[in-house]
This record gives sequence, C-alpha cells and structure tokens, in this order.
Amino acid sequence: MPRRRLASPHRPPPRKSELSLHQVGLWALMALGLAFLSGGCKSEARQERGVMTVVPQLRASWVRNFNPFFESHSRWPAPAGVYEPLLIYNRITGNYVPWLAESWEFSADSRELTLKIRRGVHFSDGRELTGHDVVFTLELMRRFAALDQTSIWSHVERVSQAESLVHLHFKAPFNLPILALLERVPIVPAHIWSKIQDPVTFSNPEPIATGPYNRVLYFSPQLYELGRNPNYWQKGKPGLDKIRVPAIGSNEAQALALIHGEVDWGAAFLPSVERIFVAKDPEHHQYQFPSLEGTVMLYANTKRAPFQTSAVRKALSMAIDRAKLVRIAMQGYTRAADATGLSEQFAAWHDAKVLEEEGDWTQFDPETAARLLDQAGLKKGPDGLRRLPNGAPWRPELNVVVGWSDWIIAAQIIVRNLQALGVDVKLKSYDQGAWFQRLRLGDFDLSLSWSNGTATPWSFYQYQMSKDTLRPLGEPAERNWQRFESERADALLNAFAASGDADERFRISSELQREFVRHAPAIPLFPGPIWGEANTTRIEGFPTREAPYAPLAPYKAPGMLLVLTELRPRGTPPLPGTPGQAPSPEGSP
Amino acid sequence: MIYLLRRLGFYVVAWCVSLTLNFFIPRLAPGDPASALEAQFQGRLDPAAFEAMRVAFGLSDEPATVLFVKYLKNLARGDLGVSIAHFPAPVSEVIGQGLLWTLFLSGLALAISFSLGTLLGTVLGFFRGGRADAIVSSIFTLFGAFPYFWLAMILLYGGGFMTGLFPLRHAYSDGLRPSWSLEFAVDVLHHAFLPALAIVLASAGGWLITMRSSMMSVLGEDFILLARAKGLSQARVMLRYAAPSAILPSLTGFGMALGFILSGSLLTEVVFSYPGQGYLFFEAVKSLDYPLMQGLFLSITSSVLLANMAVDVGLVFFDPRLRK
Repeated sequence: MPRRRLASPHRPPPRKSELSLHQVGLWALMALGLAFLSGGCKSEARQERGVMTVVPQLRASWVRNFNPFFESHSRWPAPAGVYEPLLIYNRITGNYVPWLAESWEFSADSRELTLKIRRGVHFSDGRELTGHDVVFTLELMRRFAALDQTSIWSHVERVSQAESLVHLHFKAPFNLPILALLERVPIVPAHIWSKIQDPVTFSNPEPIATGPYNRVLYFSPQLYELGRNPNYWQKGKPGLDKIRVPAIGSNEAQALALIHGEVDWGAAFLPSVERIFVAKDPEHHQYQFPSLEGTVMLYANTKRAPFQTSAVRKALSMAIDRAKLVRIAMQGYTRAADATGLSEQFAAWHDAKVLEEEGDWTQFDPETAARLLDQAGLKKGPDGLRRLPNGAPWRPELNVVVGWSDWIIAAQIIVRNLQALGVDVKLKSYDQGAWFQRLRLGDFDLSLSWSNGTATPWSFYQYQMSKDTLRPLGEPAERNWQRFESERADALLNAFAASGDADERFRISSELQREFVRHAPAIPLFPGPIWGEANTTRIEGFPTREAPYAPLAPYKAPGMLLVLTELRPRGTPPLPGTPGQAPSPEGSP
Repeated sequence: MIYLLRRLGFYVVAWCVSLTLNFFIPRLAPGDPASALEAQFQGRLDPAAFEAMRVAFGLSDEPATVLFVKYLKNLARGDLGVSIAHFPAPVSEVIGQGLLWTLFLSGLALAISFSLGTLLGTVLGFFRGGRADAIVSSIFTLFGAFPYFWLAMILLYGGGFMTGLFPLRHAYSDGLRPSWSLEFAVDVLHHAFLPALAIVLASAGGWLITMRSSMMSVLGEDFILLARAKGLSQARVMLRYAAPSAILPSLTGFGMALGFILSGSLLTEVVFSYPGQGYLFFEAVKSLDYPLMQGLFLSITSSVLLANMAVDVGLVFFDPRLRK
C-alpha cells in the first residue's frame, strides 16, 4: 500500500467548494502531524529497563481475575507466578522440581504422601506460609469441587498436618501420578481465603500471594502490569521489576508485534518461523516448538460399525501419510506419531521394543491397509467405493473444528488418503462447541481431537483405554470419547498408580503401550507442539537451544514459573542457582 | 406530536421484540455452552471438577421457557448475569469496559464518514459528470465494496507494520495512563486513526452515493432553477438550496447505518486489538457464552434503537412535512 494514500485520506477537493474543503484538509493535516509527533516520542519511552512484555494468552481485552484455581479464566500467571504450587514438573528434564514443598516422600505401601513445606516463604502481606495454608487449600478444594480441577479428592481420603509436614492419605495405593495433580494446585493463604464466602466466584482483584510477581501495579482492559515481589523467598530473584501483559486478540496481531520487537516473550504459532521471525534478528530472536503437548489423534467411534474391529482402525491408520501431514498441516514443526501414541512429553517412558514386537501400524502402507479392509469384509463395490459387509454403502464422516486451520488441513489430507483407499469419507466442520458436544456424546464416526499430556503415561492411557472413563453412547464422556475398554489396561493402570518403584513402573508402562499398540483404541497422528518465542534484545535468561533448562512456552502452568524466575535485564549477571533445578534452600532465615 | 408518540410506541415494541430475540437467537446456535466451556480447557479439566463448574457457572438443563422468565426477571432488576467466558465477572462489567471504546471509535468513524461522504456527495452531485466525479465516486464505491476487516488488515500491515507510522494495536500506548491531558488525547487519536480510517473508507461511499443521487434529483426541481435565475453564486445554490433538501434520505439512513457501522467496528476492533466490544463478541460467540451474547446484543440493539429514535426526533426539525 503506497504511503501517500494513508497521509491524505481524501482526494484533493474539486473546484469551487475550495474554501470549506481546504479548511478540513488543513485540520486533518495538523491532526496527523501531531499524531506522528506523539508516535515518535512513544517508541523511545517503551525501552524501559527491567520491564518485560509478555503475550501468554490471546485475548483482546482483560477482565480483572486473579483467582488462581481457574487457570483458563484467570489472568496469567495467577496459578504459577502470582501464586505458586508445591512442586513443578519440568517437562524438559523430566524431573519434579521442589517448590513450596522442600521435599516429599511416599510411604512404602503407597498409601500416604508426606510433603515437607518450605520455611521462610512469605505472603505479600508479610504472613509466613505454613503447613496449615497447604491443608487449608486442599480442604478448600474438597469443599468446593469446582476448584479441584484435577480431581485430587477422587484419590485422597483425608489430609493431616504436623508442623511443616503435610500428609495426604490415599483411598487406594497411589504414587507418582499424584505429583502431576499436585503441581497444578496453587497454595493460597488460609487467613485470607477462609473469609471468602464463595471462592468459586471470587475474582481476587488484589492477590495476597507468595510468587515472584505478586503485585498488580496497573489493570485496564487492554493492559495489566505485575510488579516484582521484593521479599521473594528465593534470594536475589526475581530479576525484573515489572511484567507488562498487553491484550492481543489474534494470532496475526501477535505475530506482527513479535516480529516488530515489541514483545519479549510470546506464544504465537508462526508460519515459516525461521524466515519471518528468526531472520529479522538471528542474534536475538529465538523460538522453541517442542512436541510436549498430548498427541493429536484421529478418534474412531468404536461403538459404531465397522470401527469396532481393531484391524479396521489399524487399516485407516496405515492409509494416512503422516509425513505429508506433518510437513503441510504442521509446517514440519512436529514429527509423525508412532503406534504407542506417546508424545515427547513421555519420552522417558517410551519403549521402542514394543513397536518392534507388535508392529507399528502408523507407517504409511496403503497396500496392507487395503488388504486389511478387504479381510474385514469392507470390499469395494462396482463404483470403486468400499461397502459395509452387509452391502450397505459406507459413508463415514470426519469431524473438525471451524477455524482450526492446522487440523483442517490435516483432516483434508486424511480424507484424501482414505478416499484413495476407496473409503467414501466426508469432512464435516463444526463450531468448537458443537464439535466437542458430538465428541462427548459419542455422536461421530471419525473425529480429530487432542489427548492427555500430563506428566505420566498413567493419565494418558487412562483417557484412552480405561473402563472408569467409559460412558455409553449418548451420555457425555469427558474422555475416552472413542468408547474403548480393556480389562487388562485397567489392571495395569491400577498397578501403575500404586507402584512406588521406578523400574516396575517402566515395565507396566511398556505393557500399557503394548496393549495400546495391539488394539489401536485411537489413531495417533502427531504430537502437539507448544509454542514459545523469545526476544533477547532487552531480556536475558530464557531457555536456549543450547541450554533448554525448561520449556520456553509462557502459557504452560506451572512450568513457566521455572523460566519466570530466571529472567533478568540484558547485561546483568545470571541469577543465583541452576536454572530448571531445585531452588537453593537459601530461603531459610 | 402524534407522529412522535407513534414513533415512540414503535420503539417500545421493537425493543421488546429485540429483548426476546436476544434470548432465543444465541440458543439457536449448534452446540451447548457446557461443551464449549470444556473444549476451552483442552482436556486439562477433570470430569468431576467439570460437573462442579457447570453448576457454578449456572449452566442448567432447565427448559428455555423457564430460563426466559428468569432472564426477564433478572433484566428488570438490571442483572445481566455472569459471563461464562470471563467467569466470574458479571456481564455488565465485561460490557461496560468495552462499550465506551466502541462508541468512541464507531462514533468518530460515523461522524467522519457521514460528513465526508455527504460533503463529497453534495459537491459531486452538483458538478456531476465531471472528471472529479468519475474518479472520486468510483474510488469510494470500490472501497465500499471491500469488507471492513480486509481494509483493516491492509491498513494495519501498511500503516502500522511496514511504515511504523501508526501503532499496531490498542486504544492508547502501553506506557500511558488514561488522563485528561493533551498528550493522552493525541495518543488516543493516533491509535484510533487506522481503525477509524478503515471504517470511513468502507462506509463513506454509501453516504456519497446516496447524497449524490439525491442532489441530482433535487437539482431538477423548480426552486433550484429559481435560485439560479436569481443569479446566486454556485456555492450558495449548492449549500443553501439544494443540500438541505437532498440530505433528508441520508439522515433517515443515518440510524440504519449505525447498526452497520457498529458491526463493522466490531470486526475492525478485532484486527487492531482495540479494547472495545468487538472481540468480546467474537469470544462470546465462540464459547457460546449466552449471558454475554445477550448482554452484547442488548447493548447494541438498544443503542441502534436509541440512535434511530434520535434521528426520528431530529427529522421533525429538518422536514416540515412531518410537523403537523
């Protein structure tokens, strides 16, 4: 667009009426001049030192809400940054980093977990954090189930406390998976929250919290600012004075701001990131898109013919050209999934031997796929389209969400792959709500969706194969949408949850993978990437490709707390401690 | 007077109809808020917690008629309910914070677009058939054919990103705090320039065409001939004789146009991350946030109806034929 047209929004006036139009033009010019002047001053003022601009969520306006229990509805980083959890799972190293809990221990029979609460941690009103606050927080979640978003109380029977030791007593033996649930519990001060009538609808405008950035300095619909906690329990941290969070509504707008250098830490999906972002300033522009989200799956409704046979599901899987899918739909930002369905999130659990022994039906092999379908009685009719064994036409529909462009492209490739196999599949796009409703009620043939991506394969496979999660068609299921059940998987899952032995857990996890590969409850497509960009012109301390101490993505609570506590203005010395590891116990008085 | 009363009665009826539609139209969309809510969590919410949240968020399975009665009762008390997407903020608070910016932006754009379009239409209609007429009319018609958001994106890219002359987003600079100072006022205008320009470019053409054709029909009237015969100057004939009569259709259209401008402004706001109601609306629809949608519909329909009413009252002063 030529610049001139912008500077004069209307054309030169025609003859005669010169007088009035001239005046209008003059005024417009003056307004413009003023505007430019102000624009000039402003870009200088933005370079304040020790101030970081972050875009963690896409929202075009903010509503003041720092209730840390509602991660998706509260303002970033309420659950992990303003408030803090007991521990943090570091998705890059695979370690559980002690945070407000200094250490923990399971009883030998896995019936009890004892957490030692750190001393010398203070809330922003000066009161010290004690074991009582932890017990209170957990009890609060029991009384108000909406706060218990990971459903800790379906495993925990009661909580008790002795000084700084907090004990969780389980209903049945429960071990490692509890840590993944606990990392998402923000600890709130008992002396404040006990006075709150309804903590579910409490928007907590002035948080009293322990986190590194726990003061709300300014709040408006288009921007809010958080200030440094001067009494933070990790000595010498945090390194920044102020965090600025502008409201940006669209991915495009965020991309422009990132490329422009206005945002220090972002979470945008950027197409051709090397060319449009890194190349602008290779020294300072960084990104990391690790595949740490759950695997994106093609779910086949196992209660609908002919998807109840695992051979059919495997055949569909073999017909999909995942290399192309990843290259075109995902821009090569991830890899093709294998038949275990495990993403990088579970790298430490992945057992390649299972694939060797059971066969990997995610390899692109249309011929075998055709043979399997023929064997299942889904033979081609005279029109070249496959029919159901009873001769009726087979016209499955594949559901996707309107506007989720990467998934839509992936679905289009799948549709083409399956059509090449003679399956008369149609793409159906729905609004997010409608699409998810069909998924929950089991009202679909084939549907794209996500899968669980928490710390252990336990919840991942529970979502895929457990009878506990099974609901009949027509009844809303919050997981196991494909309605698959396996007695063996349930036994393995229970054994996994109860096991306190790392080797045994690995063995059980291998067996779970074997069960999944054997029965193909769902068709894994690709592990979902998480998006993170950093601009190190003003801020240092981000995880780099050489030293990826934690995921770069700013929106993954509580993992981003590991990064938040390491950031500092450029040119200042590194903060004490080892990034991504347990904080040094300097907090003690 | 009777005319005014009749119009008033009409607006009361129209408002009641819009209240009813506000309630039912969102519910015609496929899907349900519970599913949309859960989809937002992308599998990070446990089913038990979800059930509890459903209750907390007031997502009940009661029949629509029962809910409608509740809605009317609450409305009578001025209670618009609690937003789902922005839980637990009340709808009135969510709407309130965006409404002013939307009214400012669309009001500014409407004022500029109306005066610019009408002024150009007057001049071009008066000197119809000239080269200026051909060029200017066709340029504005061309821009009018573009969708708002597309123009907005082009302007954002050209004026904001490529040249850096204008900010890429928001209603004022991140470093500034709202105040009654010249600096802040200039900053707000600087930020409103591109979004307003997008709306003006897309909508001025309509005013121009209406005014131009209306001018042309008025120019054929006898009183214009008389004015010319009296030897009055061109400008006087145009501005004092032709324009006041020709502007009536445009004024009638003003109220109608407000609705279009508002909707266009909503899209433009999304592109420029302008903190108005536009993106709220977008999010509300996406997450099937019925209470927020109702509230937004209500505020928009009410403002359009109010503006129409104001125009109706205004017309009485402009058009003597209505004064009986």
